[in-house]
Amino acid sequence: MSIVLVGLNHRSAPVEVREQLAFSDEVCSHSLRQLVDGELLREGLIVSTCNRVEVLTATGKGREAEGTARITSFLSECRPLAPDYFHKHLYSHCDDDAVRHMFRVASSLDSMVIGEPQVLGQVRRAYSLAVEAGTTGRVLNRLVHHALHVAKRVRSETGIAASAVSISFMAVELGRKIFDSLAGRTVLLVGAGEMAELAARHLVKAGAARVMVTNRSNDAAERLAQEFGGEAVKYDALTDHLAAADIVICSTSSPDYLVTPDMAREVLEKRRNRPSFLIDISVPRNVDPAVGELPNLFVFDIDDLEAVVSSNIREREREAERAELIVDSEVMQFQQALRAMDIGPTLGALRQKLHDIAKAEMDRQRNRLGQLTPEQEQAIAALLTSTVNKLSHPLLNHLRRSYETTAEETLSEWRDAFGLDE
Amino acid sequence: MKSFLILVLGAYIVAAVHAVLAFLNKRRILQRVSWLAVIAGFALHSVALLSGWALEGRFPLFYLPETLSFLAWSLVAAYGLLLYRYQAQAQALGSFTLPLVAALVLISIVTGSHANGTLGTPGEIGRGWIFPFHTTALICAYASFFVVFVASVMYLLQERELKLKTFGAIFHRLPPLTTVNDIATAAATVGLTLLSLGIVTGMIWSSERDGKLWHNDPKEIFAALTWLLYLLLIIYRASARWRGRRAAWLGVAGFALVLCTFLGARLLGGYHDFG
Repeated sequence: MSIVLVGLNHRSAPVEVREQLAFSDEVCSHSLRQLVDGELLREGLIVSTCNRVEVLTATGKGREAEGTARITSFLSECRPLAPDYFHKHLYSHCDDDAVRHMFRVASSLDSMVIGEPQVLGQVRRAYSLAVEAGTTGRVLNRLVHHALHVAKRVRSETGIAASAVSISFMAVELGRKIFDSLAGRTVLLVGAGEMAELAARHLVKAGAARVMVTNRSNDAAERLAQEFGGEAVKYDALTDHLAAADIVICSTSSPDYLVTPDMAREVLEKRRNRPSFLIDISVPRNVDPAVGELPNLFVFDIDDLEAVVSSNIREREREAERAELIVDSEVMQFQQALRAMDIGPTLGALRQKLHDIAKAEMDRQRNRLGQLTPEQEQAIAALLTSTVNKLSHPLLNHLRRSYETTAEETLSEWRDAFGLDE
Repeated sequence: MKSFLILVLGAYIVAAVHAVLAFLNKRRILQRVSWLAVIAGFALHSVALLSGWALEGRFPLFYLPETLSFLAWSLVAAYGLLLYRYQAQAQALGSFTLPLVAALVLISIVTGSHANGTLGTPGEIGRGWIFPFHTTALICAYASFFVVFVASVMYLLQERELKLKTFGAIFHRLPPLTTVNDIATAAATVGLTLLSLGIVTGMIWSSERDGKLWHNDPKEIFAALTWLLYLLLIIYRASARWRGRRAAWLGVAGFALVLCTFLGARLLGGYHDFG
């Protein structure tokens, strides 16, 4: 069996091509059943996300080119698209390259943002759709399970997903560095900007218990507070609110500093020096930089956050190099597993078949031999066994050896010749 | 007995190396190896200490080698308790503590081979419960203060990075600020309690023997200073006037005093100069 993959991703194709080719869940099963004919393409799976469409199939040995052409024409058949429109964006991989590509996709090494966690779920989803459609078999089952295993290894053994690479998620990550857990923490939003809202959403998802919103316009504060199940608080009692909050996100358009060192000292006093974390994503800044020099107050402005994000991205890229090594070694293991999976049962079944034939012949002739002593019975059984073994030995050996040097077709020829699959 | 300690040392070295590697290179398998080695080392070490006690017929805390070995044991015990309480967050403590543990056991083995029996015998002072209690409490107090020290260093490293907004490779491996802060506070409280018990039992024992509570010996003076410093630390932490960086610096300074008490007094001589 060979593995053939045809696809396009965010690097090979612009979004207007990707969106044309995307498969929705509903269409996916139907398309898979169309694609997998059991003859040329024996197994199939489609991973379709906003950044990629990957068609993964299993085909016969030596029929990779045919399979690739079949998938490509399938893609143009199921979309009202001129082939030239997207053909130049497609890539195709066979065998080891296809396996490696699949492992990299599942491990999020091929993602736009390296290490993003969603793609693993998308691969799982694609697999369960294919299982429902009945288009997976020995090869793809094993491939997908192996890919999930690789993704898990990469995630736990490298730091590709260790640090936040978006400003809004940075709030959660830094929050976790300061407070052991975000559970039960209080968040204060000063101003109702979009980015502040996103950061607050992440914080609530990470366990923050209470959200307070304050804004010059009370209406906007009320509206935002309602979304989080939080409360809108008065804008003029800012110091009190600052003292009540563990994490503060400022995003107003105020031209002056809203949080001054004097205020911050008062806040520290009220908080009995418990640490607090101020995120200032407004330009011009809302928090006086001198506030950051006070003990137990941690102030990050937009530039600080961006600097951390870009250093995290570089860190992920470094970690990705280590992840590639893991992928390489797993690709080798997969190929070995795939081979072992095929040769063992075939040889066993072949030997059994020959013994069965000998035994059946013996049973047919047995009554012509008349009464035999137990020794004679044993001698006949031994004669049959050793004859079959001696005859089949060179054959099986040859099969095993030729299998090592990729002559997989001979294997299925022998299977056919002896009717092992009937 | 000694070959047994070498086994213990081997386990601790494996644990320390893997803990440091796990700290530098986030791999769960390394961490797991480290844990298994710590568990094996700790079990063997406990057996070694108990059998030493049984064989010699006296509490094994008199000579320097024994003391170092017991100190190592109590550090591992403290690490185990922290792992139990803070789980993965306390992992990083191992990479700081275990190398010291291995070093202590090594020194204990090396000095044990020629120091034994040269410094007088424990004689009658080893009997009764007060003297063993005195030494055990103090060694455990030193171990607690070491935990305070490590947690304080972790706090300072991390606070510095947060203030400067440049995050090095270790940043992501260190436990959160509030966690190290909690660990330091808890360990300081335990340490101060044990230190107080150690000092009080020392006084009782001394007054029974010599009729004097206090000998003005360097070790006693340092112990008193240490006691005052940690009391100050706890009071300040509790009153919330000092949290974070300042308290952490005090935790580091306190450990310097502890080192003076434990080792310095030995060099300066005086009443406590045995073994």
